[in-house]
Amino acid sequence: MFDSENGFFMLIGGVVVAVVLGQSIFFLIKAYRRALALGIERATLRGTIVSSALFTIAPSLAIVATVLALANALGIILPWIRLSVIGNISQETTAATAALETVGGTLSQKVTDPEAFTLVAWVMTLGSCMPLILLPLFLKKLQGGVNKAEGKIPASLVDALSAAAFIGLIAAFVSRSIAGKGAAGDNPLYGASFGDGAGVMSVVTLLASVVCMLILQRIAEKKHIRWLETFAMPISMFFAMGVAILMAQVLPENIAFLEWRG
Amino acid sequence: MKKQSASEGKGLKHLDLSPAQYNSRMHLYGRVSTLLALAALLMVPTSFCLYLGVWPKASGIFAGLAKVAPLFYATAIVEMVAYTPLLGTGGMYLSFVTGNISNLKLPCALAAMDGAKVKPNSEEGEVITTISIAVSSIVTTVIIAVCVLLFKPFLPYLTRDDSVFAPAFRQVIPALFGALGATYFAKNWKISVLPIAALVILLVFSGGIPAGTLVPIGVVLSIAWALLLWKLKKL
Repeated sequence: MFDSENGFFMLIGGVVVAVVLGQSIFFLIKAYRRALALGIERATLRGTIVSSALFTIAPSLAIVATVLALANALGIILPWIRLSVIGNISQETTAATAALETVGGTLSQKVTDPEAFTLVAWVMTLGSCMPLILLPLFLKKLQGGVNKAEGKIPASLVDALSAAAFIGLIAAFVSRSIAGKGAAGDNPLYGASFGDGAGVMSVVTLLASVVCMLILQRIAEKKHIRWLETFAMPISMFFAMGVAILMAQVLPENIAFLEWRG
Repeated sequence: MKKQSASEGKGLKHLDLSPAQYNSRMHLYGRVSTLLALAALLMVPTSFCLYLGVWPKASGIFAGLAKVAPLFYATAIVEMVAYTPLLGTGGMYLSFVTGNISNLKLPCALAAMDGAKVKPNSEEGEVITTISIAVSSIVTTVIIAVCVLLFKPFLPYLTRDDSVFAPAFRQVIPALFGALGATYFAKNWKISVLPIAALVILLVFSGGIPAGTLVPIGVVLSIAWALLLWKLKKL
């Protein structure tokens, strides 16, 4: 057993966050000055800054939820660092899951072995670092090439393929919630059958999230409520998690925790 | 886009730079800061290992990486090509360092360009996307850091097995990917049906297939299916 939330790890997290913030502030100042030089009004720039900040709040809460979800197994520091640099909700969850699988663990169990913990840290880091190697090497050349190629590939195909890649990734997690086996749990409150495999709980949570999202988006679209459009995703996610808590409290145990795949 | 008076911009040295010079300078800043971020990133597992005095077996790292790296590295290349025309030079370096591009940085930058009435691939678009993504990166980094500090003391009570919140934390994956997928599935239901159905059937026969293995299968299947639908003019 080791402390995955010790002061040293916290310090490392602080250094990483400082680097990321430093880069962003530097670019913000440079671009702001250039914008003024180009003759863009300060009011327009202020509008860009405020709207971008507001737009970011809700998706950031979804990222925080991912940090919390991963914290169950990894403590809070490593997920915090990973989600602050390159970190992507789906990729970090996938990388952590894949790394834990190699040592027979899952995201539902606390990682207590330091070697397993460092293994996860390395897999998450090396799995996500490729863009930081590719960008400095190729972005400048790529810009020239892309500008020439742009217009040759039909926009409808580019849109379809990028949506398809995302759908394939989400489909993997959605299908596991419908038909995947989990690691059987042994829970003092909810009983030995309470694991994280597909069952009543996972399917109802999934459906609650999907339905809530679609309803909120419909309302936002019909009533032209811009903020709701932005907040629909975190609201739906927290609503679905609330449904899971409610089910655990209200439904009989043999129904709420029924897992058809074990 | 509204313009200010020319005199307001005078005296700023950035006015002296041609678009090509400004772009070159952005690449220089981007390269240096990205390599710094890479060093910070690699410092994390290295310092963890030094502090704990343990190093994981290389075979374990490769086994874990083998499941995710092919997809992640391929995605990195595809994303670079796909976002270059949209995000501009500054925006590209910034958004790839802080991540969450498709679900945060890209829509944020597109909304900012829309609000400022500028076009991508223009000088004004370049600066507006850079400002928008820089602000978004700062806000998201601060929110995550503040929430981590706030939640840290309560976390054990929230995620403990006998906590009332335990069922919610066990169901984060369906809650997250349900909301994330809803819009994509609704807008692209023709593309979505096959990969979801195929993966569910696969799991019915072999329920233990881990998510790390399912993801590349799902992505390849989904892209091939979308390509077929597009060629058949069914999209």
